[in-house]
Amino acid sequence: MRKFLVFVILCVLVSGCVTVKSYEREKLLDPILERKNQFAKQTLEQKFFSTREGSLGGASGIGGGCGCAK
Amino acid sequence: MRKYLKPVSLLLLPVLLAWTGVSAFAEGDQMSFTTYYFSDSGDNSVFTSSFNLAKKLMQQTVLLIDIELDNVSVPAITAVTGATRPQRRKSEPFKKNRGQIIIGVEQGFGQNTTVAGNFYRSQEVDYTSNAVVATLSQEMNQKNTTLSFRGQYNADLVGKISETGELTNRRKKVYTGAVNLSQILSPTTVLDVAYDFVYLRGFLSDPYRQVRVYDALGASTIVDELHPSTRARHAGTLRISQLISSIRGSVIGSYRYYIDTWKVTSNTVEFKFNKYVFNDFVFSLDYRYYAQGGASFYKDRYVGPQYQTTGLRTADYKLKPFSSNNFGLSLTYLLRGLGKDNPDLEFLQNSAVEFMYFRYFNNLDFSADIIQANIKFSI
Repeated sequence: MRKFLVFVILCVLVSGCVTVKSYEREKLLDPILERKNQFAKQTLEQKFFSTREGSLGGASGIGGGCGCAK
Repeated sequence: MRKYLKPVSLLLLPVLLAWTGVSAFAEGDQMSFTTYYFSDSGDNSVFTSSFNLAKKLMQQTVLLIDIELDNVSVPAITAVTGATRPQRRKSEPFKKNRGQIIIGVEQGFGQNTTVAGNFYRSQEVDYTSNAVVATLSQEMNQKNTTLSFRGQYNADLVGKISETGELTNRRKKVYTGAVNLSQILSPTTVLDVAYDFVYLRGFLSDPYRQVRVYDALGASTIVDELHPSTRARHAGTLRISQLISSIRGSVIGSYRYYIDTWKVTSNTVEFKFNKYVFNDFVFSLDYRYYAQGGASFYKDRYVGPQYQTTGLRTADYKLKPFSSNNFGLSLTYLLRGLGKDNPDLEFLQNSAVEFMYFRYFNNLDFSADIIQANIKFSI
């Protein structure tokens, strides 16, 4: 976990060096990159993986009562 | 095959509902319907319908509503198992429904800051959950960097229905903190890094699961499982999304590491490949590998008198060491083409219909088929 935190801090520091202009970012809006389509994936995470696997978390869901078959 | 007919026919229902709801839309609104059907090798099944709306109230204020209904069926109990269902009428399948609602408001401040607050409630016959959630999202570095924070508090009631039909509730509290960094690395590459911390306190066992405990002579008794009353979970996720313009596709890879105070650790690797097969059709392949270690108190066989009293014991398969594979296929139809030449259908510019199938299996001799359909309207 410590290595992961070091990596995150490095990412933050490095990120300040990258500036992509707004007109260059158009391609990132393509739905094929799934930047704004995480809802369906969250449903799968919450309904299925969280009830079959012991390491819940990191899926950004609210949770608490899953309506699932365990 | 017959068991799939009803769910598949119901998958079409959201499409009809969506068309009728679109007339109330205004610019900036988003609406989606999702149906989900799950069936596994243990004869468990779940059918879910959900509706999600983001309605713009003012220039920078958005109302969020999410409603979800589940229909769960768990098979009859034939022996002492880890099944999480009441013992009452154990020779019959157990069916239950769950309702969930999330209501929230998202407020923008200036060009780069968004704050949101949500209230969550989930209710089923033997489980109730209430939660409040707050999120802060800040864009920086000319919108190349987005930093988000989330805090959440859950107060849950874990119920048990006895053999006489009485309901007994026990409390569980959950505190969650999460931070997410999204960074544009190039005109075609995005990096996401996330860290989640979850602290749970209260009744953390499953009230229905039972464990067989042996004495030195090999005789056995059956007792309820007993987990620790606290648990702290840590999870870190790294995700890279790369657009590949030359083949009109994208590749998304992620890695997640997890560790908790019950000594469960896990590694998850996931790859997804998306490609336009026609102008507005996207075909996707998904693969996910997951491996976890067992909890410190997990045993295949509990021997000793301490396990009949205060000794920690579990019948939860989620606390065993195991690995799993999940393969997925999906087809997404982007409805933007329908709106191009027809002003009346302009609202379809950011809308899509998605169908997915997943096949899951692990080395504990468990497998499942999952079908999911999603329709999203966004103006």
